[in-house]
Amino acid sequence: MDLAFGAEDQQFREEIRQFLTDNLPADIQQRQRDTRTLASNTHDLQRWMQILDARGWSVPHWETAYGGTDWSPLKKFIFEEELHQADAPEFHWQSTHMIGPIIYMFGSDAQKARYLPSIRRGDYLWCQGFSEPGAGSDLVSLKTMAIREGDHFRVNGQKIWTSAAFESEWGFFLVKTDMNVKPQRGISFLLIDMETPGITVRRIGQINGEAELCEVFLDDVMVPAENLVGEAGMGWTYAKALLDHERTVSSFIHFNKRELRRAKEIAQAETAGGRRLIDDPQTRARLVALDAQVTALEWSVLRVLADEPNRYGGTAAASTLKITGSRLQQAITELQADLLGPRALRYYDPVDWNEPASPLWPHHVAGRTSAALISRASTIYGGSEQVQKNILGKIAFGL
Amino acid sequence: MNFDLTDEQTMICDSAERLIRELGALERRRERIARGEGFDRDLWSQSAELGWLALCVPEDAGGLGGSITDIALLMIELGRGMASDPLISSAILCSTLLAGSDWEGRADWIEQIMSGNGRLAFANLEPGDRAEWPAPRATTLKAEGNGFVLNGAKLLVQDGEGADGYIVTASIPGEQSQALLFVPADAEGLIQDHYRLIDGSRAADLRFDHAPISGGQVIGRGDGVAALLEDAIARASVATLASAIGSMEACLDICSDYLKTRQQFGQPIGKFQALQHMMTDMLVTTHNARSNLYHLLSRMDGDRDERAAALASARLAIGQAGLSVGRTGVQLHGGYGVTDEYAISHHYRYLMALEKRFGDSQAYGAMLADQLFGPIAA
Ligand SMILES: Cc1cc2nc3c(=O)[nH]c(=O)nc-3n(C[C@H](O)[C@H](O)[C@H](O)COP(=O)(O)OP(=O)(O)OC[C@H]3O[C@@H](n4cnc5c(N)ncnc54)[C@H](O)[C@@H]3O)c2cc1C
Repeated sequence: MDLAFGAEDQQFREEIRQFLTDNLPADIQQRQRDTRTLASNTHDLQRWMQILDARGWSVPHWETAYGGTDWSPLKKFIFEEELHQADAPEFHWQSTHMIGPIIYMFGSDAQKARYLPSIRRGDYLWCQGFSEPGAGSDLVSLKTMAIREGDHFRVNGQKIWTSAAFESEWGFFLVKTDMNVKPQRGISFLLIDMETPGITVRRIGQINGEAELCEVFLDDVMVPAENLVGEAGMGWTYAKALLDHERTVSSFIHFNKRELRRAKEIAQAETAGGRRLIDDPQTRARLVALDAQVTALEWSVLRVLADEPNRYGGTAAASTLKITGSRLQQAITELQADLLGPRALRYYDPVDWNEPASPLWPHHVAGRTSAALISRASTIYGGSEQVQKNILGKIAFGL
Repeated sequence: MNFDLTDEQTMICDSAERLIRELGALERRRERIARGEGFDRDLWSQSAELGWLALCVPEDAGGLGGSITDIALLMIELGRGMASDPLISSAILCSTLLAGSDWEGRADWIEQIMSGNGRLAFANLEPGDRAEWPAPRATTLKAEGNGFVLNGAKLLVQDGEGADGYIVTASIPGEQSQALLFVPADAEGLIQDHYRLIDGSRAADLRFDHAPISGGQVIGRGDGVAALLEDAIARASVATLASAIGSMEACLDICSDYLKTRQQFGQPIGKFQALQHMMTDMLVTTHNARSNLYHLLSRMDGDRDERAAALASARLAIGQAGLSVGRTGVQLHGGYGVTDEYAISHHYRYLMALEKRFGDSQAYGAMLADQLFGPIAA
């Protein structure tokens, strides 16, 4: 075992840092640093994607033939880490990490030519239409139907929890195309232009006052047959491949590190009874406990990246990342709110917010509780904690 | 020892339950919050009519003089419907402060509060406060001319928006004890800022900029004030904790119903053992939280130090219990749990808010440690 970063990796890190110093616009950086929502400003993200794309780094995790890099997994990790440290906008996951790889792995040449360049440039957003009101954890029971009529599919049904559907130009949907086979074999993968007649999007008010989540109603939506990805009936297999493709992202390691750093900063700025919170024994105990857990998570990520041989299998190791990372997101954002004491109770209105001019409300207060509230979702989406544990028990121990 | 309710207590609980059933619908709550109203005015006027506001006021001050247990039982029921505001701030906290004083405006304002025609809010919290317990205030009252002037700032005055007046804590230079002042909402030199809290209630920041205060506005000063403040905050804390118990018990109903109705994998999700265990953990936590409350109730009329220790213990335990029940309740609901459209997220936010009213569980944990083990050696 050699547990140190090599000289080449260090040099790579320097290179990325220099690139960020030279190229990350200060105004974007400042807005991202100040952001009170977990999503990036769409306009900033687009500008930033273009800058990255010009350098060939907007989708480093893709295959090189499609505009990715030949970086080692460790280098990709360093790249993402440095972007987070510098407060660069977050990637729009559904676009760069989900549909992009799906299209180059399974799509037609025409689809690759049409969509991949625009995803690399971040021209517009994609949304993911998998879940339905009756098909959440039990996704395979989805009911949205796509019936072939000539050179079109006629799509009817309803999706829910479709993040950012209201601001997305395109969506990728799992739809049912064959009722007569095992559910896993009757699902297909369709690309749908969100402007198509028959689509209605309703935003869902969230626990933190935002409304990123949406319902998407599909009512006799006519989708060109050429928008089918790969073969009919293979949608489930493709969706599964997607989940295997990026095994460490669900750790949210970079988010967790950055937010823990923010928690420390708040503890340094806040006082209780005339003493800085960072000097309060209870606060210190909470911070160091989280610090040690984040350290563990980071090394667990590195182990998965290096494909460390593991007696429970790589999938089991990756599953521990999701469980740990989602809990840490919750614990860290909740600590941030707690550090504010009673001031954590002020509602942060994501739409209509005027920064209080009063010194009673320093800048670091707004949005923290909002983040803590919506972080409850991290143990729900992408496979709930309970479902993760069911799977982990099975693959690790055969239970 | 006897845990049975008296007939009168049963009556209070029944009528509270009925009112929450009538007015506690989630849609009504969401619409009200969207309109920017911090509490339900119909519920408030009903609370006055049903005598609940008077129940909270001692008999010798003209009220019905309910016991602290009566009040706690009422608040548990109201907590089920997340309807404790502004009963706590006005009818419990401010009227206790008034009833314990010999201020000339006392009878008049108590009458206003009990009838539901007037409402006062308690302005004590200052930056750096983690728990509201009597302490020197940065807000100062200085003699000037025939009267005084008040300078300073208060934040997060619960239900402060739309209150008719405030009971304000301040320090007087050269005096150990704080003073309690009455400041009408339209006072000269008072600047207000209003905002919504995460649970949909509303609060105010108050800034006093050379606000003139007459001798007639001093509700109390000198030795008795700290004890009076402790009494009032302790009673308001009981009401807060009881509201949390009610909310947690509502979460048990809401979640167990959800587990029976939500279907995944061709069966109600309540069939999954993982969820059964989470649900029963919520029950264990809630059950124990009620016990913490009973312990506190048993110490309310005794020795002040014992009461303070029981209060700190209950705040620590119930505060954390509420957060745990709320979080688990959200998790059991899957995506629906993080929407504004299901009751569970409202309870979670309400429980979060209650955890921090009058100080958070961490601050009370530190107070409890001091009580049990003495202060940390330097
Ligand atoms: C913030 C957020 C963003 C999302 N974004 C998207 C998106 O962009 N596109 C998309 O398609 N979907 C998205 N989702 C949906 C997400 O994938 C689902 O919420 C998730 O699959 C859970 O489904 P559900 O909400 O229906 O909960 P349910 O499946 O109804 O789960 C309810 C409860 O039951 C438990 N449970 C279910 N099955 C079992 C079992 N077998 N054993 C034990 N416990 C079980 C769950 O853990 C949970 O506690 C998003 C969700 C959230 C919260």
